[in-house]
Amino acid sequence: MKTILWLQGGACGGNTLSFLNAENPDVLEFFSYYDVKVLWHPSLSLESGDKVRELLNNIVDMKINLDIFIFEGTVVLGPNGSGKFNMFAGRPMKDWVNEISKVANYVVAVGDCASFGGVPASEPNPTESTGLQFHKKEKGGFLGKDFRSRKNLPVINIPGCPAHPEWIITTLSMIINDKLTEEDLDEYQRLKIIYSTTTQFGCPRNIYFSYKVALKEFGHREGCLYFDLGCKGSYTKSPCNVILWNKQSSKTRVGTPCFGCTEFDFPTFNFFVTEKNRSGIPKRLPLGVSRGAYTTLSAVARASAPEFLVKPLIKKKEDRGNWLE
Amino acid sequence: MSSKIISPFNRVEGDLDVEVKFERNKVVDAKIISRLFRGIEIILKGKNPLDALVITPRVCGICGASHLYASASALDMIYNAEVPINAIRLRNVLSMAETCQNDLRHTYFMFLIDVLNNKYRDYANFEEVIRRWAPIQGSSYKECFRWSKKYTEVYAIFGGQWPHGSAIVPGGITADPLPNEIQRAISILLDIKRNYLEKVILGGPIDQFLDTVKSYNDLLQWAEDYKEGDLAKILEFGLEANWHKLGYGSGIMLSYGHLPIEEYVGIPRKKYFKPGIYFAKEKEYKEFDQRNVLEFVNSSYYIYSKGDQAGLHPFEGETNPNLDEKNKNKYSLTKCFRYKLDGKLIAPEAGALAMLTVSGNPLILDLIDKIGPSVLSRVIARLVRVLIYNELMLQELNSFEFGKPTYKKPSEVKEGMGYGLVEAPRGALGHWVVVKNEKILNYQIVTPTQINMSPEDPLGNKSHMALALIGTEVSDVNNPIEVHHIVRSHDACMVCNVHMLKLI
Repeated sequence: MKTILWLQGGACGGNTLSFLNAENPDVLEFFSYYDVKVLWHPSLSLESGDKVRELLNNIVDMKINLDIFIFEGTVVLGPNGSGKFNMFAGRPMKDWVNEISKVANYVVAVGDCASFGGVPASEPNPTESTGLQFHKKEKGGFLGKDFRSRKNLPVINIPGCPAHPEWIITTLSMIINDKLTEEDLDEYQRLKIIYSTTTQFGCPRNIYFSYKVALKEFGHREGCLYFDLGCKGSYTKSPCNVILWNKQSSKTRVGTPCFGCTEFDFPTFNFFVTEKNRSGIPKRLPLGVSRGAYTTLSAVARASAPEFLVKPLIKKKEDRGNWLE
Repeated sequence: MSSKIISPFNRVEGDLDVEVKFERNKVVDAKIISRLFRGIEIILKGKNPLDALVITPRVCGICGASHLYASASALDMIYNAEVPINAIRLRNVLSMAETCQNDLRHTYFMFLIDVLNNKYRDYANFEEVIRRWAPIQGSSYKECFRWSKKYTEVYAIFGGQWPHGSAIVPGGITADPLPNEIQRAISILLDIKRNYLEKVILGGPIDQFLDTVKSYNDLLQWAEDYKEGDLAKILEFGLEANWHKLGYGSGIMLSYGHLPIEEYVGIPRKKYFKPGIYFAKEKEYKEFDQRNVLEFVNSSYYIYSKGDQAGLHPFEGETNPNLDEKNKNKYSLTKCFRYKLDGKLIAPEAGALAMLTVSGNPLILDLIDKIGPSVLSRVIARLVRVLIYNELMLQELNSFEFGKPTYKKPSEVKEGMGYGLVEAPRGALGHWVVVKNEKILNYQIVTPTQINMSPEDPLGNKSHMALALIGTEVSDVNNPIEVHHIVRSHDACMVCNVHMLKLI
């Protein structure tokens, strides 16, 4: 049997809700297949008040073994380093996080907030928020760059705003089976098998990206969102178009740009806009592509775009068809 | 007098502390204390107005679409956007799908599992309700796990992902669904209807329920006729446990109205659920006007430049957090919501019960007449809303006109003010936005949990939730399950509750 404790800091609860959407296995099956005992979870557990404090104290005193400590949301240090913007069971949450991280066999950051600081830690960071072991790009965060849990692993990050339930369950199941090693993690301590490809993998708009056919406005199935509408899918590491959301779709499939929410720098702001340089080339290029190569490729690609792609495939009534370029 | 602080108070969204004072076994005072602050609105200051569509859903992991809808509506108003009917239908579906997911999860995961409490061990049907509602093991608990997420599938078909999709934009929606996608969503909703809502929740046909159950007596009759539904069991157990006498509160119902019916430019005129204020005892309805919304900070850890007595409308408001623990008047990170009516400050109730009451639903109106605004009526209203929404989603999707636009690009504006008012799962939610030089100058979010659970205003008026708690007699001061029922019946959301930060 493995024990899990899940706490929320500067959080919206979105990772918890996302976790509840898991399928094959769903959350209940997962607990049962892997013989997991949830010591406490803020939304799912019966206990309130004194009983929770008692449990937490018993964990800290190692009277109760804690295998996996899952933390959702930022570690809130404000105001002025006191942590009092996020009180929990009578103390600043940061103090609980500090003590519990020391006794847990594994420490897992679920979501972008716990991994990197996410939305609350963006400038001007009014709550003095940080991630468990990263603050945005900087390694360190709340627990420090040298932190290792009792099983001698750094914090295992499952970023995403929220994280997809399948990413969470895959990561947890590897931990529970003692199969997760340091070699499985990338430089941001994410599981490589999940975070090695970009969001663009599997996006139905890829063909428009390849031939540089841009979508100019929302509300259409065709055209690529990268050139004008701010899509970050070509340089964000996530399998959102391979492991679909809620079994159905993804942002780019419904015409919403990727916002880059699995990365350390989320939120970058000015979403929905592609910032360009003076020659009209996007400032952020697809991962691993040089500016020279991109410029050459664009010209060739656009010139060789098949005719059927540069005109709307499905035209609506009263549609002037001027939304592809 | 004994005082008890329940911290943490779980199974609400976020962190909540509840401080109750008892005289013997009676609650004589109550304070609801929010202990989390994330400063979302400070972060939005100076940003591109459209960024609010990405950031504000992240206020809340369970009702992000409501924040998205409110945010896009405020921007519709600022851009004077023309919103096509197809977009309105899909926006409505997104909002309803999320709310159904919430209402089911709240009912089963957060509220009903309290029946495991010791107090109920000797009840005749204790074993029956445990078999149904016990966490992890209960049959209906498991069914809720399975079916509630199907609503998130409906959401994802048009919204990309749930939680935290951002498909609603000023002027419409980013999606452009094909008939097969509309069909897929309809099919999921029909599956939910026939194999879950009718079998587990209702025990009988939805159409018949919505057509014939128009009063409290009809509801009792329904429970008699369809005994196996959870609705009947909740009614039966709730009446035995006196949930209908628990948590009356302010008796004033507030709704901002919800779900536009027709195309509009800038601001919707007509909604399926009308806005307003309803006085339960007097049975009196009043129009709602957003200009009368005020926020106070005399009991909250914030400072106003005009001093602690001032009440500010969200457009003019200001927020500077200041955790001054020496000031004994202040105890919460929630600002105080009040509505100015005929020279008085009122502290209404928000939520599914308020929304359905204000909109004139005959069953719910009769319910609060017969068993008051109460723990039981709130739980029933939440389930009835799921039934209504499931049908309305089907109607909206069946009316979707393929080949017509889902988006019309609004012309750009440099400045303006706008508000977006919706009914989130927990009740009336408003976003007030001021844009200047194409940037957000001021972004104010006023949440339903704030409406229900504000601290005291300068006149000493208590909020609805405190009133609902005060006077309650608990069976065991060390195990005040009645307090838990009252708080949880409101579907409290503390993560929403804590972002009342202004941007100036």
